[in-house]
Amino acid sequence: MIHCTEYRRRITAEPALARSPGEHAASCAECAAFTQRLLAFEGRLAAALQLELPAPSASASNVVPLRPRSRGGLAKPWFAMAASVALAAVVAAVLWVGTAESSLAADVVKHMAHEPDAWARTDSRVPEANLAAVLREAHVRLLPNMNRVSYAQSCMFRLHHVPHLVVQSDSGPVTVMVLAHENIAKAQHFDEQGYRGMIVPMPGHGSVAVITRGTSAPDTGRVVASLVSSIQWTP
Amino acid sequence: MNGQSGGNTQRAKFQALCLALRPDLLRFAFWLSRDRALAEDVVQESLLRAWKAQDSLQDANAAKPWLLTIVRREYARTFERKRLPTVDIDDLVAREEPVLAGGDKQEIAEVRRAMFKLPEEYREPLVLQVLMGLSTTEIAAQLGLSQPAVLTRLFRARNQLRSMLGEEVQPDSDP
Repeated sequence: MIHCTEYRRRITAEPALARSPGEHAASCAECAAFTQRLLAFEGRLAAALQLELPAPSASASNVVPLRPRSRGGLAKPWFAMAASVALAAVVAAVLWVGTAESSLAADVVKHMAHEPDAWARTDSRVPEANLAAVLREAHVRLLPNMNRVSYAQSCMFRLHHVPHLVVQSDSGPVTVMVLAHENIAKAQHFDEQGYRGMIVPMPGHGSVAVITRGTSAPDTGRVVASLVSSIQWTP
Repeated sequence: MNGQSGGNTQRAKFQALCLALRPDLLRFAFWLSRDRALAEDVVQESLLRAWKAQDSLQDANAAKPWLLTIVRREYARTFERKRLPTVDIDDLVAREEPVLAGGDKQEIAEVRRAMFKLPEEYREPLVLQVLMGLSTTEIAAQLGLSQPAVLTRLFRARNQLRSMLGEEVQPDSDP
């Protein structure tokens, strides 16, 4: 059985352990209070680290590949080659991250309200044939490494039928909308009406919206990273 | 034709990955360097390096630690290329005050200022854990430390931060 010092040392190093504090905290009022204070601090710390760093301007982004700055060693031959138009375009797009409010993001959030039941946390999966049918219309297929899809519907969105999926990630449900008809120049982040997410441009294939909700929502960035590795566009 | 289409898809995927992860990478670089301009430089250079080396990323699920490694190396290179001047912490805080200000939440700004004062050996694992969501095993792999060493640093990091903020803390003791 662990004692107070050991318990407090453990949860101070890994506050996530405090979510299931175990026998000791249940029987020790002082450690229970310590845990509450630590978790309150952890909330402030997490918020503090989430800085709002302004996105660089588009003009600054465009010169990134060629910019020698004040450092030595950057004007190498390979670096000059890397300044091709294609690379510049990609890097400029990567750095040109947009802000929250756009009508597309607002429409995505509005659409969420239409299907609240889709957000259920569940172990059930959509039958493969149904999922394939929904995705086929959008010329998309998912690789097998995709997490469990618990909801798949073809929804009318801005005059087009689009796949509306809910994926059960380890940290909760995530909604994905494949917006093949919505071409956007830059990523859009949004946090409206309890929904947080990101719309990511997929050049040549429109865009993909990833939406989470709730205070313990999955990390959107991680979800997008995982998702883009799982999507394939079909002819 | 197919080759070009495959290349476009590959490029689109890489672009989406970077778009998704860049904000957190920038925050990580900022907390590491405590300098917004330097953080932006480091992340830009890192993304260029990542672009050139994207074939070495076999699993997109591993993109975050892969990019973090590139950012950490790029940050280290800035010291190899150029001796950065020693700066007083109060000057650092003053210089980045617009970023550190927590809007109307004074307590958030206080935590940020305290983070600036935390030694790098404690600040980095804490940011990797809280901001980047890495497990202690992943942090150990990133920093080349043992897991117990990471736990000790995380314990001391929170203790020092809470102490700076006037909170009662658990006395230090090695595991």
